[in-house]
Amino acid sequence: MMEGKFSVIGKSKPRIDGRVKVTGQAKYTGDLKLSNMLVGKILTSPHAHAMILKIDTTEAQRQPGVKAVITHEDVPDLKYGISPARWDENIFCIDKVRFVGDKVAAVAAIDEETVYKALALIKVDYELLPAVFDPIEALQEGAPLVHEQCPGNVNTEIHQNFGDVEKAFAEAYYVRTDTFVGQRTYQCPIEPHSAISVWEGGKLTVYSSTQSPHYFQYYIARQFGLKMGDVRVIKPHMGGGFGGKLEPTGLEFAGAALAMRTGRPVKMFYDRHEMFAHNRGRHKQIMKVTTGVDKHGKILGVHADFIMDGGAYTSLGVATAYYAGAMLPLTYEYENYKFDMIRAYTNLPACGAQRGHGHPQPRYAYECHLDMLAKDLGMDPLELRLINTRKPNTVTPNDFRVNSCELEACLKKAKEISGWEEKRKNLSSGKGIGLAVGSFVTGAGYPIYRTDLPQAAAMIKVNEDGTSATLYTGAVDIGQGSDTILCQMAAEAMGFTYEQMKIVSADTETTPHDFGAYASRQTLMSGAAVKQAGEEVKQQVIEMASMMLQTDYRDLECREGVIWRKTDPSVTITYAAVARDFFVRKGPLVGKGSYTPPKLGGTFKGAPVGTSPAYSFCAQISQVDIDEETGEIKVEHVWDVHDCGTVINPALLHGQVHGALFMGMGEAVWEEVVFDDKGKILNANLGEYRLPTALDMPNITSELVFSPEPEPAGPWGVKEVGEGSTIPTMGCYSNAIYDAMGVRVYSLPLSYEKVWRALKEKREHEQQK
Amino acid sequence: MYLPDFDYIAAATVVKASRLLGSLGPEAKLIAGGTDVLPMLKQGTLATKTLISINRLSELKNISFEKGKGHIIGALATHNEVMKSPVLQEKYMSVCETAHRMANNQIRNIGTIGGNISNAVPSADFPPILIALGATVTLQNSSGSRTLPLEGFFMGPRQSVIAQDEILTEIVIPENGFSGSTYHKFGLRRSGALAVVGVAVAVAMEGNICKDACIVLGAVAPTPMRAKEAEALLRGKEVSDALLEKAGKLAAAASNPITDIRGSEEYRRDMVRVFTRRCLRKAMDNGHV
Repeated sequence: MMEGKFSVIGKSKPRIDGRVKVTGQAKYTGDLKLSNMLVGKILTSPHAHAMILKIDTTEAQRQPGVKAVITHEDVPDLKYGISPARWDENIFCIDKVRFVGDKVAAVAAIDEETVYKALALIKVDYELLPAVFDPIEALQEGAPLVHEQCPGNVNTEIHQNFGDVEKAFAEAYYVRTDTFVGQRTYQCPIEPHSAISVWEGGKLTVYSSTQSPHYFQYYIARQFGLKMGDVRVIKPHMGGGFGGKLEPTGLEFAGAALAMRTGRPVKMFYDRHEMFAHNRGRHKQIMKVTTGVDKHGKILGVHADFIMDGGAYTSLGVATAYYAGAMLPLTYEYENYKFDMIRAYTNLPACGAQRGHGHPQPRYAYECHLDMLAKDLGMDPLELRLINTRKPNTVTPNDFRVNSCELEACLKKAKEISGWEEKRKNLSSGKGIGLAVGSFVTGAGYPIYRTDLPQAAAMIKVNEDGTSATLYTGAVDIGQGSDTILCQMAAEAMGFTYEQMKIVSADTETTPHDFGAYASRQTLMSGAAVKQAGEEVKQQVIEMASMMLQTDYRDLECREGVIWRKTDPSVTITYAAVARDFFVRKGPLVGKGSYTPPKLGGTFKGAPVGTSPAYSFCAQISQVDIDEETGEIKVEHVWDVHDCGTVINPALLHGQVHGALFMGMGEAVWEEVVFDDKGKILNANLGEYRLPTALDMPNITSELVFSPEPEPAGPWGVKEVGEGSTIPTMGCYSNAIYDAMGVRVYSLPLSYEKVWRALKEKREHEQQK
Repeated sequence: MYLPDFDYIAAATVVKASRLLGSLGPEAKLIAGGTDVLPMLKQGTLATKTLISINRLSELKNISFEKGKGHIIGALATHNEVMKSPVLQEKYMSVCETAHRMANNQIRNIGTIGGNISNAVPSADFPPILIALGATVTLQNSSGSRTLPLEGFFMGPRQSVIAQDEILTEIVIPENGFSGSTYHKFGLRRSGALAVVGVAVAVAMEGNICKDACIVLGAVAPTPMRAKEAEALLRGKEVSDALLEKAGKLAAAASNPITDIRGSEEYRRDMVRVFTRRCLRKAMDNGHV
């Protein structure tokens, strides 16, 4: 018990919600039934671009069982979005619809069947407008305008220039340019979006499957002119988000309006098709990358020139656009960096934040590009990376301070455990091995909207008889396990036992503020607040024990629910006894904490995006087997080596690596949302939108490396893992395919047919020679 | 998406089901496992006022062997029942493997072989292997039944010779001289993927001489189709890699695929070549697999 540096963290404790989830006791939003509850649904546009001439809800209103039918006329017309300059969404469309799936009206009725019948009875007269579905076409002169106030369909334009890239290229030994294309993908959380709104005595309560109760509370209060204190958002158990449940989904707004109108609780939900139509998934990006190197392969300068398809609204896409370029310089050291980006509006569903936010595709482009550079230079791609790898305690050209960084160790370990050198030489025909690296923020340095609120806060109350303690945190467990690891961190800091921890989380009324689950922020940021709260409890317990044991507090140690005298460990007292005594004499034994990051980043336009207290790093190597006749890709093994700082729960950590790899693998080989020429999704289901299956998954070796000096910015030196592991996979597979077959596919996904076509073209090219 | 209103009648006998289908006309639809009918209803691609279920007719679930007739598979046998049938496993592992690689376990537990055939979807997995093995189907109505080769059953995508009041009741794989057979579903992931190309072959080998061959292609034409030029090429010939490649090329040339979200015409055609050759080799070397 008394051995080792830590008692509770660093151990694969069982999930705090494991038992209720596997027994089916855990209730998700869709499972909740409130007395008198209505069911609500949103009517969406069947057209990609059309004027709304008239909406007639008379028939729908008359349908027995229908309690309310609402359109834009019944809700506030205030626009919302990520930043004031780009507020471009309304609760319901007012003049026109901008994509197939845009929100037009909503119905609340006594049951699901009635809702669907009523939706079919709403008559909307549309006047069709020409639509644009391609970001390059959208940027051409004369293209249909998605938003009249936005000329040229330019939603976001970025031009960042650090150092002197032109000079670097001019002085370089070798300069290479490549262009790659990423695709639209969708997060596909297993649990569909849902929200239940209750309007009672001037207070609105919303149960929602959300990654950020706080943002929903903020947006809902703002839309309806309510005080934030009169809006309560509660997140029940949740089946995944991956970025798609970070911003308002429309269900909360429509549900709130319907609940206010009917005075009854209203449950709103999306079915699988509607989830795809609402989207907010990965942007399509067209990525031109140029690198200049000296004759040893040292990178002198990089230019990233990107265009992205944002869809019909801003969503979180401004941040995505900045992230796309901001994170490229994290992995390699160079002084000169230029980043140009245009995010275009199109008449397709809006894109937003998806695991790795903006970064996986540029990383795919860059890691492929580097491999091709290595080939041109006659270098081993791993050696080229080692020459350029970022070192700890450095600053990127775009002013991100990197403290701990073991990317070099990641590369060396990946090289060793994968048998890189041997396999590069001796793999049998059709097999190949590839490499890519990645890095990600451990929490965004700045919140989504401008505010001086702390990033995270926490409170711990030791329960009155001292036998258990409850952690109150606004942090959001969306399935990744934050409730578990935060309880481990609380117990560690308190000197208490994990098994006796309880948690109340993600409820804006009962738990202290936290921005939620995104940007891989909770272990560090929420964890910092929890650690502080735990230490405050521990200090009070030790002071009380010092009185009870008549011992100087400096001679007392406290771990795993026991306090003992350091100079005479036979003198002990239980936590429970001390805590109970504390309550009797002084009242509630409570600790609190909050976390605000230091001021981060530079002063140029867009400087905050990509700032973080700490960055994770990783290297991934994969071995593939390609069927040269069919292009089929079998991934045989993946070795992932992560520098994610101190580990709180190894089982959950490796689970994140596996999950992230699954997602990266899907985007690498299979996943793509496909549209017809009218902007309708052709594969809005899990049959034709192919996520990998268990049978498609490779063997995975997930290893870690540790910094000699723990990351100073994180509690106990923690960093992120949840998103970082998804970043290298696409580039890693592409490079392995190249190693196997000598062909390069320049667009995602690296589908069987694309590989087949590349092989065919290669054969034809060789025959011509 | 939500199911529209419909009436639901669980028929007690095949004859009663047939009478209902006949009297209610095209507005009535037969349902067995429902893995095809229910999604179509939800998507609005099938309009029906009455669903007539034959799920209670457990006599249509039998899988057996009758000497002189062959292997009999009741139309209501689920994919998993086909897969796990000892009678089929003993002789035609190729049919069991076909079932094994269909859809996913939930669907295999409820979808039926009769439904997979009578829906007449071009990418369906059972028809190619059953046609290759010379299977017949029996269609029954209230006045009697008729049996015809499965090869002549299909008319086009979702179109077959089945009349409004007819019900597919059983499939028979007659005793035949084939020494080997196999089906390969080429899908875009390892599970839960529809066929981009399906190739079934049945071969009769004597030593290294191919006495007979039947090659059936799925998902590359409006209906499952025989690659007859390729079959003719093989008959009576000594087998070599070059011969099989040539057969693959003939099959590819005969195929008539379309371009859709799962694959281009060009890709599908080339996959016909590859998998015809591979399936022939597999069935020639390994029997009914």
